[in-house]
Amino acid sequence: MEGLPSDETLLIGVAERDIGAFHALYERHAGWLALRLGRRCNDRDLVADAVQDTFVAVWQKPRGFRGDGNVAAWLWGIAIRRLVSRLRLRTDIAAVFDSAGPTPAAEDQVLLSVEYGDIGGALARLSPEMRAVIQAVVLDGLTAKEAAQLLHVPVSNVKTRLYRAKAQLRAALAEGLS
Amino acid sequence: MTAWHVDDETLRRYVERTDSVAEGASVEQHLLTCAQCRTRVNSAATAFGLAAVWERTRDAVEIPLPSPFERLLRAVGLPAHEARLVAVASAFRGVWLVGVTAVLAFAALAAMIGHARGLWLFLALAPLMPCLVVAFSYDRRWDPALAPEMVTPYPALRLVLLRTIAVLALALPALLLFGLVVPDAAPFAWLLPAVGFVAVVLAASTWVSPLNAATVVSAGWFAAVWVMGARSATPAAMLQTRTQVAFLVLASASFGIFLVRGRHLRQLRPWR
Repeated sequence: MEGLPSDETLLIGVAERDIGAFHALYERHAGWLALRLGRRCNDRDLVADAVQDTFVAVWQKPRGFRGDGNVAAWLWGIAIRRLVSRLRLRTDIAAVFDSAGPTPAAEDQVLLSVEYGDIGGALARLSPEMRAVIQAVVLDGLTAKEAAQLLHVPVSNVKTRLYRAKAQLRAALAEGLS
Repeated sequence: MTAWHVDDETLRRYVERTDSVAEGASVEQHLLTCAQCRTRVNSAATAFGLAAVWERTRDAVEIPLPSPFERLLRAVGLPAHEARLVAVASAFRGVWLVGVTAVLAFAALAAMIGHARGLWLFLALAPLMPCLVVAFSYDRRWDPALAPEMVTPYPALRLVLLRTIAVLALALPALLLFGLVVPDAAPFAWLLPAVGFVAVVLAASTWVSPLNAATVVSAGWFAAVWVMGARSATPAAMLQTRTQVAFLVLASASFGIFLVRGRHLRQLRPWR
């Protein structure tokens, strides 16, 4: 990675209206952003639109990055919110948080337990609705309101599910420790 | 940076979405801090047509933001492409309006100070402003944006009318304001002449360039005002029914000619 400009340098270029720097930033980040967004929403066109919105937003406000944290995390914060606002307009497409694959086989479950303590197992035992809330709020850093828009459920519902999910996880982990 | 990287098998499960929630979350946390693993994931993101998304993104950022005036036009219901065509006229590039306003302000000031000559000056200038602004807004030398219009199949007549209406909507209130502060000469004395001159310029633009037409009209009007002033008529003569009716006829006749001959609009034909 030596010799390549850092993401921060590219952002400075973008702020100076350098389309080359903008393209380099796109090449570096569009792929993983699209894949990660694609795990939240099955509609590929919608994900592509959200990626486009993200980079248009970056072009318009490249100085939104304050220099704290890292550029990738900042981009993700923009991207997931672009996806939320795209999904808000489309009630026909629901966000998917559950992984599309089959439930892990028993031996994988064991592996996960080994790898991550019992968190993997505890998460897997949550109902899909609760898991979706945990993912949106805890892992993706959305607010309860944004999560509600993403999942097309009322805010109060998100808060209740989050509360219950945390309680359930805590209980499961405590059980595993004892 | 860190020595640990996502192994190929985990990465494959992540891309294929056959992993568990915990494993996926772990990969995602790592990706935020590891450029190397991001590059590996990027090469797997083939399903989203990201090259096409880049084209769209670049197009989106290279189109300049619409000006406030253009947004106003859209707000009153004009389709986006027409709003752009109307708004790019040079008359709407602030500087022009400021210049016109300044000239009128001096004339109005002269009139307010009370010289009869000042009043004549205002009467000589005010009616010409709208038609000059209209003429400049179509002249290719002043408006490079007219070039793409010429290769666009677009009804020239409609464009010219839209722009004229827009010009008048901007110029008339300013003129009216100045007219109101000028004593004696009723503020509306110049209104019909102004509309008449615009119509004449539009009609003449089906034969000659609008700028030439506006120049001739201006010269003629200056001469007429000069003769009237020399004959010691008062500016109030402008308000006589006869004069106003004459301007009304002039405006209607010219406008009729313009509509009939609209397809001959020189300005929007390809440059020779």
